[in-house]
Amino acid sequence: MKAALAALLLAANAAAQEPSDLRRWELLVGHSYSSPRAMLQPATLTLEKVRGSPLYSVIDAGALLRGSLGSRMWLETGVRTRAGSARPRSQRVFGAMARAYRELDPVLLAVGAEYEADGGFDVQQTAGTAELTPLGGPPGLGTWVSPGVRLRWRPWIGVAAGGDVRPYARLSADWASGRVEAGVEGTAWLVHGSGRSFIKGDVSVGLGGGLFVTASGEVGRPPPRYERTGRMGLGLGFRLAPAQ
Amino acid sequence: MRRKDDRGHRWTDRGVERAVIKIVRRLSPGFARKRITKKTRLHTDLGWDEWYVLRVVKPIRVTLHETLEDRVVLKIRTVGDLVRCVWDGMESVG
Repeated sequence: MKAALAALLLAANAAAQEPSDLRRWELLVGHSYSSPRAMLQPATLTLEKVRGSPLYSVIDAGALLRGSLGSRMWLETGVRTRAGSARPRSQRVFGAMARAYRELDPVLLAVGAEYEADGGFDVQQTAGTAELTPLGGPPGLGTWVSPGVRLRWRPWIGVAAGGDVRPYARLSADWASGRVEAGVEGTAWLVHGSGRSFIKGDVSVGLGGGLFVTASGEVGRPPPRYERTGRMGLGLGFRLAPAQ
Repeated sequence: MRRKDDRGHRWTDRGVERAVIKIVRRLSPGFARKRITKKTRLHTDLGWDEWYVLRVVKPIRVTLHETLEDRVVLKIRTVGDLVRCVWDGMESVG
């Protein structure tokens, strides 16, 4: 009887992991859809209070819906915002995008379209994008360097074409130890012949249930305005990432 | 128990397991070979990000003659899941 029950449980477990049972679509919530690294970084809500001034907020959040298009292709579509009353309207960003991936081992190709606007919708841009990243390569590219050095990195190169053509390069790195995670992501664009860059990073401590306490910072000139910004904050983070 | 891959080569479940573990070990040069077993978690233990895991597709196609869908590979969590996916894709031999 016990053996039969064990066999039944084993069969049920195996059936539950059959590839045909995998969901075709999944929802992810994180810091931004701009890259897988940013999607794994928790979405954050930071509140700031300075004596004599109102309570200010800083929001960085993105959501991504991902589904299969075929055996070697899949599609992502998402929305993101960098907002909150602590940011001037010109430095707030609203964006939406759709992106298709094609695995061409040894590289991954992503082709998509993205809409970005500033907080007042005074500057709006729509661009087609094409990006490439190697699946693997030197130590640490896409995988921990070693069991003792839980550090990995991933480079991307791409081009965005809308009103103008903007080549760009992005490098992300992340590190983890127990409940503590840290990451940094830098992007550099060539806009009308001159360089623009934006770097953001975070250190998060997991509280369980997808919740984190997150210290984050950013500096540089992010699109669409490429206006100089820089800030640091401590807040509450949330992440929903089924695949991880 | 034996099964056939897409080219008609016969495999035992142990043979598939050994071949898949060998592929994962080759893709994890910084890790001791004995640390990588069926229970090893690709994302949590080896730190593979979601794109690195796609590197298993080509060697599995070349060695085990099985073509895994990317959407399946992207959701695999352990080496054992990968072994099961390959084994399930093979044809039973009467």
